[in-house]
Amino acid sequence: MGSTTIDFVSAQNGSGATVVRVCGELAVDTIPKISETFDTILDKHLPFVVVDMMGVSLFSSSVLGHLMGYREKLVSKDGDLVLAGLSLEIKSELNLLGANRVFKIYNDVQSAINSYRWDREHISQSLSLSFPSELRFVPAVRQLASRVARQKNYGSRDSFRIETIVDEVCNNAVEHGKSGRGKDVALNLTIDREKIELQVVNETDPDKVAVLKELSTSILKAPEKPGSAVGTDRKRGRGLALIKMLSNDLRIDFSEEGTSVHVTRRRGE
Amino acid sequence: MESTFPYSVRLKFPGDLDYIAPVRKFVAEMLQAVNFGPKFAYRSEIVVDEICYNAITFGCQSPDATVEIEFSIHEDRMELVIKDPGKGDRSNRERLRHAVDGNLREADRKAGAKKEKLGLEIVKMLSEELNFEIDNNNLTSVRVVRKREEVSAKP
Repeated sequence: MGSTTIDFVSAQNGSGATVVRVCGELAVDTIPKISETFDTILDKHLPFVVVDMMGVSLFSSSVLGHLMGYREKLVSKDGDLVLAGLSLEIKSELNLLGANRVFKIYNDVQSAINSYRWDREHISQSLSLSFPSELRFVPAVRQLASRVARQKNYGSRDSFRIETIVDEVCNNAVEHGKSGRGKDVALNLTIDREKIELQVVNETDPDKVAVLKELSTSILKAPEKPGSAVGTDRKRGRGLALIKMLSNDLRIDFSEEGTSVHVTRRRGE
Repeated sequence: MESTFPYSVRLKFPGDLDYIAPVRKFVAEMLQAVNFGPKFAYRSEIVVDEICYNAITFGCQSPDATVEIEFSIHEDRMELVIKDPGKGDRSNRERLRHAVDGNLREADRKAGAKKEKLGLEIVKMLSEELNFEIDNNNLTSVRVVRKREEVSAKP
């Protein structure tokens, strides 16, 4: 086996993924050690394995076939075996063999673990942002939210509706909030496979609080009827009505600290 | 009422490579919102991309690690600080520091440090200032200053 090492690292940092780190040449003589490692993994019922190939300089087709066999066993138990950190040369060879159609291949181990946690452990991820309360910054903020959704495999229509929600909520925060140095708008976005939750907080212009409370109460309580008038003035409150139509849950809290808008939208496509 | 320069923005996001593209475009678009030209904005996007990639690859080894960006937009420049928790292997971080300082050791060169060195050289080339700090808790901060390179037409 020469200088080839195969190390088995279980349960990476609290995730359910197991990493098998390989260094050296994966030639035919390494198959017994590979079998020993993966038989242990199967015995321990560890479902998801990332093979860290960053230190691999040679990957024989016999070993590849062996790994395919173990992958099949893991998949039959609702698991998977994925490859990470391949050199360009080895990646090209695997592509020529068609192995990229069998194995998921990641640039590095952490990306593989992140993907596993997202798909299998249903984790949520949060992004928080604080930006100056000016309308000209809102397009960049809504595009950020939309692009994050797209990166997390939300469909384009879904992502656009999320963008619309962020746009309306942030526009309201800027238009009805205090502006000037230090009066930033705070946005928190939490996303998982099923839904996106948005919270936008800002200091409200005290002259507008009463009117805003009344308007938001009437819109939030209004029955959802297409074409129904929004409040007593057709133009006022359209943004809130639009957010309500596009979301599954909308809540607005007014306090001395400011206004906090909470929106939940379930993944639609 | 519009405030004046400088504008400050703070952003915290998961240590997940999926966030790099949206975040770098966000920085570029914020710059263009205050009339920095598209060339400056795109080069700033390149800088953010390289530093965030390093922050996530070398600094975010736990599932819940986050990266923080603080950038302030002045009339003539952008100042950017990117922080990561640095929970990765300290030797990796020292290698990064050597790459910034331009004196990669032979062992690092063989270990494939060329890629991150290229990224940091790109950042150095596009910035007026580049500073790198690791504190005792491994928290890594990279500070970059980019000065405006062209005059943009005001509305």
